[in-house]
Order: sequence, then C-alpha cells, then structure tokens
Amino acid sequence: MADEDEELSHLRGPEPADIDLSDETQDFLFLDKLSSDANGALSLPKRGTKDFESHETQLQLDTLEASRQAMHGVLSWTRVHTEKNRILAMYHPESNMAYVDKVKTQHFLTMGRAKGGKEWLLPEEVLFLLERGSLDCRWPPKPSEEEKDSDYKFTMEDGAPMSLQGAYAAFIGFEAGVGGKLTLEMYNVYAGLKRSGYNVYRTGSWDDDRAALQLPATGSKKGGNAKPGYWTRFFAEIWRRISSVGVNTQVPTENLRFGPLVKPGLYRSYADIYRLLQIIPTQDRGAPPTFMLESDPSNPFRVHFDVYKTGGSFKKSNRGPPDFRIAVINARESSVPTAAQLNDLLVTTPHDPPKATDNLYKKLKHGQRNVVLAVVDNGVPSYIRVAEAAFSEEKLYERTGRAPRGKGGGRGRGRGRGRGR
Amino acid sequence: MEHPISIQPARSEVTQENNGPDTATDAMEVDAVKPRTTRPKRPNYAQIHSKPLPIETHPLPAFIPHNPLSIVRIAIALISHSVWPPQVKRIVHKAYFSTETHSVHVTDPASIRALWEQGFFGTGSLSRTEPRWLDQEKRKRGIVAMQTSEEVTRQRRAERRQFKLERARVEREAIEQQRLLEESQTAAHQDLDKFSFQNVSVHGTSETNGLREIDPLEPSPQSVQAVLEDPPSDSKAQGLPDEVVTRIVDQEHLQLSLEEAFFLSFSLGALEVCKDQTTLPVYYLFRLYSAFSKFPIAENTERHLHNLFRYRQWHNAGINPTGDFTGSLEFSDVSSITPDNTFVYKYIVYHHFRSLGWIVRTGVKFGVDYLLYNRGPAFSHAEFGVMIVPTYSSPYWSETPERQVECKAKEHRDWWWLHRINRVQAQVHKTLMLVYVKIPPPWDFDHRNASFEINMGEVLKSYKVQEFIFSRWTPNRHRG
Repeated sequence: MADEDEELSHLRGPEPADIDLSDETQDFLFLDKLSSDANGALSLPKRGTKDFESHETQLQLDTLEASRQAMHGVLSWTRVHTEKNRILAMYHPESNMAYVDKVKTQHFLTMGRAKGGKEWLLPEEVLFLLERGSLDCRWPPKPSEEEKDSDYKFTMEDGAPMSLQGAYAAFIGFEAGVGGKLTLEMYNVYAGLKRSGYNVYRTGSWDDDRAALQLPATGSKKGGNAKPGYWTRFFAEIWRRISSVGVNTQVPTENLRFGPLVKPGLYRSYADIYRLLQIIPTQDRGAPPTFMLESDPSNPFRVHFDVYKTGGSFKKSNRGPPDFRIAVINARESSVPTAAQLNDLLVTTPHDPPKATDNLYKKLKHGQRNVVLAVVDNGVPSYIRVAEAAFSEEKLYERTGRAPRGKGGGRGRGRGRGRGR
Repeated sequence: MEHPISIQPARSEVTQENNGPDTATDAMEVDAVKPRTTRPKRPNYAQIHSKPLPIETHPLPAFIPHNPLSIVRIAIALISHSVWPPQVKRIVHKAYFSTETHSVHVTDPASIRALWEQGFFGTGSLSRTEPRWLDQEKRKRGIVAMQTSEEVTRQRRAERRQFKLERARVEREAIEQQRLLEESQTAAHQDLDKFSFQNVSVHGTSETNGLREIDPLEPSPQSVQAVLEDPPSDSKAQGLPDEVVTRIVDQEHLQLSLEEAFFLSFSLGALEVCKDQTTLPVYYLFRLYSAFSKFPIAENTERHLHNLFRYRQWHNAGINPTGDFTGSLEFSDVSSITPDNTFVYKYIVYHHFRSLGWIVRTGVKFGVDYLLYNRGPAFSHAEFGVMIVPTYSSPYWSETPERQVECKAKEHRDWWWLHRINRVQAQVHKTLMLVYVKIPPPWDFDHRNASFEINMGEVLKSYKVQEFIFSRWTPNRHRG
C-alpha cells in the first residue's frame, strides 16, 4: 500500500532542507580537508557512500583509520588564550547581569549593551562566553569591616572567580520580571543558535506578561493583491451579468436546510458551483488581530528570541527586523498549542505575507504570519516553523481549467475558450 | 556442512570471471541489464477527468473583445438557452449504507465510473484506489492489453528489486576483487604461492556462504524475469473463447467514505442513499453517519435510528403514532449528536477544502486525516497532509471547572505526537497542516422530537476552521 511514497523516493531525492547534518555521525575527514585547504577557498566536501559493515579489506580499514586520524588531529589542536583577549566581568546581583569595564574582542560586536560607561551582559550572554572560555566572571568582593574603612579601592581582580556551576546557578531562573526568567531551555536554544552562527537577541524586554499586538502595516494590502485594470474590471462585470442569466447564484434557505446546496439547474461554470458550496466559516483575515485568551504569565507560548542571519553590515545598535522569531517551549511541561494559544502567539509577530509572484504552494506554505517554535526535550531542541495559512484566499477553482489569464476578469470563461479552437 | 562443497565449482567459475580486466565490463553489464522498458502511453487524464464534480455545466462560448463575431455566438447561445433550456437533468447515483463496513456502497458500474472520474470520489473495494478490478481480471485472462496502475506498480517493484540485486552483486564483486588484490599483494610480498592459493579458496567458500544466506530471501534475477513475463501474451488471448469473456462478472463496488457520501448527497445532490427502495433524507443520513463515527457502536444503532425516523415520518404525516403498528418501533438507544462528533468535524474540514476546489481523499496511509490534491491523484501527488484538531475555545466550554478539565484532556496532544506526524510527512514529501475546528456549544437538543430534522446549514455554519502549516526548521539550512 505504500506505493505513492515509494514512487516519490524513486523520483526525487530528499529535499535539501530536510537533510540535517547534525543527525549523522560526523566524518572528521572533512575537517581535515577544511584545515588543509589554506588558500582561503573553503568548500564543503561531498559526502560519499556509507559502509555499514566490515568487509575485511585493507582499503576499508585504511579509510577508517584516516578518518580517526583526522579527528585526533582536530582534537589535538592546542587552544591558546592570549592575555590580550582576556575579558574580566563582574557579577551584578541586583540586576542578575554582569558588566565589563573595557570592551575587547569581536564578541561585543553582537553582544552586550552600553550603559553608564560599562558594557552590560545579559545572563545568557555571560553563560555563553563563560562556556566558550572567553570570559572570566568574578563575584563582587565583600569587604570586611576594616577594609571598608580603609581607602582601598576594590577592582574586579579582587573578586573571587565564578565557577561554571556557580554561573549556571546564578544566571538561570533568578531574574526579576514575570515573563522574563531565563530557563535552561532558553539558554540551550540561545547557545545552539549562537554556535550555528546566528545573532540572537531577546525579543522586547521580557518584563511584561505578553508582547504587544502587531497590527498589519497600513498600505501593505495594496502590494498584496494588485487590482486588475479598469477595462478588465468593466468587461468582467458585464461578463458576470450576462453569464448569470438564469443561473443560480445563491443557495435558497430551504436548500441550505435540507440540501442540496447545488440544486439542479443551469450552471455556466464550476467556479459558480464552488462559490455556492462555500458555507464553512473561516478565520476572518480582514479583521484586525486580537488576543483570544486572558493575559496570563504562565502561558508558555511567547516569542523569546529575535534571530538574525550573519553577514552584511550587521550592527547591534541598529538591527532591523529579525529574520526569524523563536518561541522556546519545554516539551515536558507543555503540549501542542491550542488554536487560541497559537492565535495569541502569532498576533505578536508581524504580518508577513508571501510574495504575490510566488506559486500557489509556496504562497500557502509561507503563510500570513509565522513563528519558529523551539521545542526543547531534555536539552535537545527541535525547531518547527508554524505559519497561518490563507487557504480560503487562494481559491483553487479560480486557477483550474485552462484559463489563459489567471486572475481578474477572466473568471469562468476559461473553459469556454478551450472549446472549438 | 554440505552446501559449501557442492557450490564450490560454481564459485570458482565466478572467480575466474573476475580475473579478467573487468571493472569496466561490469559497469556496462549493469547498464545493459538495467531495465529500460518504455512505459505504456498514459490515457488522456485531462479529458477523462475534465469535470471536477459530478455536475453538468453549460458554459457560454468564449468572449473575445476584438472579435465581434464572438458576441453573436454568445447571444445565440443565450437566446437558445432561454428559449429551449438545456436538458439539465441531474444524474443522481444510487447507493446504500453498509453497517458492516461503515461506508456507503455504490454498485452500478456507470455510477462507479462517473463518481471516480468526476471528482475522484470513493475507492474500489478490490483495487488500490481507482476501481480497476474488472480491467485487471480481463487482462489476466488476456482479453485487454491495457495495463492497470496496480500492474505498473508491480512491474516497477520487480524492476527495482532486480536493479538492487544487480547492484548488490556488483558491489560484492568489487569487494571481492579488492580483497583478492590485497591478498595477492601480500602474497607477492611474502613470496608464498601455496599460502595465497589456500586463502583464495577459503574466501571463496565464505563468499558462497553469503550468497546462500541471501538467496532464499531474494529470488535470483532469473526468477524475477520469469515473474515479469508471467502476464499472458496475445497468442493466448486469441485462443480464448468468447463465452469466457462474458462470464467475468464485475465483483467490485465503490466504497464511499461517510464524508464523501454526505458531501455528494447534501452539497451536490448527486447521490441518493436508499434503504428498502426509499431514499433517505439528508438529516437522517447525518444522524446515521454521526452515530457510526463513535466507538463503540451499539449493535442496534442503525435499527433504532431507523425506527425513530419512521416514527417521525408518521408523526409528521399526522398518523397517530401510538397506534398498534408502532408498538414494535423501539428507539430508546438513539442519542443526540455531540458537537465534537468525529464525523461532524471531519465533514466540516472535508467540505471546506472541497469548496475551495481541492480534491480531498483519505490520508490514512500517511498517518493523517486527509490528503489534498490539486486537480486529483491522476495529475499530481498530494501536497498537503491534513490533521484535524478539535478546539474548544467557545466560552461555553470553559463555563464550569469540570468542563474545562474535560476539554483540556480532549485538546491535549503532546509534542511527540506532532513530531511523529511531522517526520512521516517530511519523509513522503507532504506538507503538514493542522486544521483547528472550533467546536460550538451543543446544538442537538430535543433530537427525538421536533429537531430530529436537523437544519444542516445552521449546524455547519456554527463551526469554524483555521489552518496552520507546520514544517521542520533546520538552523543549518537557513543561515545563508
């Protein structure tokens, strides 16, 4: 019975988007090639076939050994911390953040914010830098009574160094603000995306119970569906009137009650019939977005991070609209969102309609608003993109037939034209 | 311990073959064996399935602004249509409800063809989807040379299997050769002729062992070939007497799912479901289908419901239902339709996508509720897999704490559920869509009396659908 999928795998390879390199065991030979190619022209090697069992040839053993050597070669690389790049930070218990006096290294191109002459780092940023070994965070020194009296000015160097355990204990879940506590899941997602090369920032301030509504930008509608020209509309109207002579265009109440919706009679086109069938209410897309649930700080669905692709002239002070919005969810403490929860999450994301020139499937898949859910199950995140699809706006029956002009005036005349010529 | 010895000669032949300069010839051999059959010409699906619904339309001639003659043609058509209205006799297909299979059966061959061709309704009871049993049967007996899709699939599978066997053989030989090469190198190195000879024979036996293990599972290429050639040739067909041809009785019927059947009856009026020669009204069908979408189904469900239906009919006709002949009418087990009845919300979604022009078919093969085809399965693969999630966001469902708890339990779906479905859909190249159906407060009160005759339009309009597309997002792929 599995014919259709079998057929598919025969015709098409897996879509590139579905191949996840992290799903597979790394072949470290590719690292070897990366480092050996020192000309600056780095290219990812092609993946070969995989051997699943030993067949006792020397060739296979040699290949395996070479791969192992490559891994050891990578791991045996000596990592060096230069004094120049050492960053000292001081923990600030009141705000549960840390600050740096002097900004060094490129990390601060995408992290931290300046305030009062210091560079402040958010908990996830401190943790990330600590994990990388690029930051030395210190506990604030506690001067004894005598030391307080003396004129000695404490520097960061006097604070006790913060251990990694201490940092996790201090930075995870100890923040003020109702909706704003950093959880281990959020840090997991943050660190994972950072390591994959994205720039990640908190969405908003995380202090309020829920983010603000995002109303569609005025004027965006005009770009979405271009109106046909005046003459086209004129002819379309005339055509509509002519072709509806003697044709049912409305379902009488009696038929709505006991059927059939399409009562026997004269119909000019299938589009007319489909229009009669449309009785199931859908989400009204013309109406402004609203919240469906009460504001509740325990609602787990909330956009946490703005994610930016790297490249180009990115500035942390002027970031612009993010490429992706990520909501972090603990898989063990929540379930698949209900329609109301999804609605409330999506109305806090901006209206992002597909391009009018895209094909039907692409348009439907892109949706009107979208968000990426990062579902973290015991530290393993899986990302799911959710989009609100506008099926009732892309009417398939207006495209079918061999209508030479897809949209606007030509409604219903596609079939007629196909005959006799 | 017998078989390695008995196979030894055969093996030595193979090794001899391998001694030649043969990597190139091997590859050529595979190419030649690789099946390159030309597929039979496809029927003209665009013409067969030119009607998307089992309803006739009467389009006007085309209007071409720069061709005045076209206006004349339209005028002629309009006038002729108004003077002699075109015969718009709706073809109504007959069917009956089967309590055993919980589906609606169509047995008339003309109806079966029409329902399949005009909108892809139903499934052949003896075929994969399209009712082609008779064609298959005729072909088996050599009457028709046309191939059915089942046969094409079977053939393709056999071809693919043979290709895989062939590929496995080539790989095996390549490994064997590599091994021999390495051994001869070591042998040359150690200069021990005798030793290397022994080694070769040992490897030979181990290889034959491997072959023996595979053999029972996968038939040899020759036997696959035999299977392929099995369909009878034309000469056989010519020898067949005519009586045999006529003797084949079409034993296949078309099975309509409850949603399909209700759509055909209620929305299009193209299907009549009968019981004892009487056509059942739409509201009765709705009650019947809803009752058969619950689990478990009581044994007397259909009987009781029909009794109530007859009682109501007499009542409406003014016959006193307390008379003697109603004594046998027992309908105590008939219950009202709950607003979240599976049939009801599945039908809502079915109707919604049909009314937008999609061809909706069951998605049970892919672990979802529905598949959405553009134009139909004969033209393209389904692009969307639809999973329905009922949602209780109407204020009625959160009025009391008990109700809240109950609805929460019904709405609950864990993340593993979503991942499972999502992974399967990605594997078969479908896009997963969750369709949330907003369940209204209960509407079926007083179902044994006045409101037995449901107001269908009102009920359908009290539900609401919302579509969300779910897809995997891989950080490694979106960075660029």
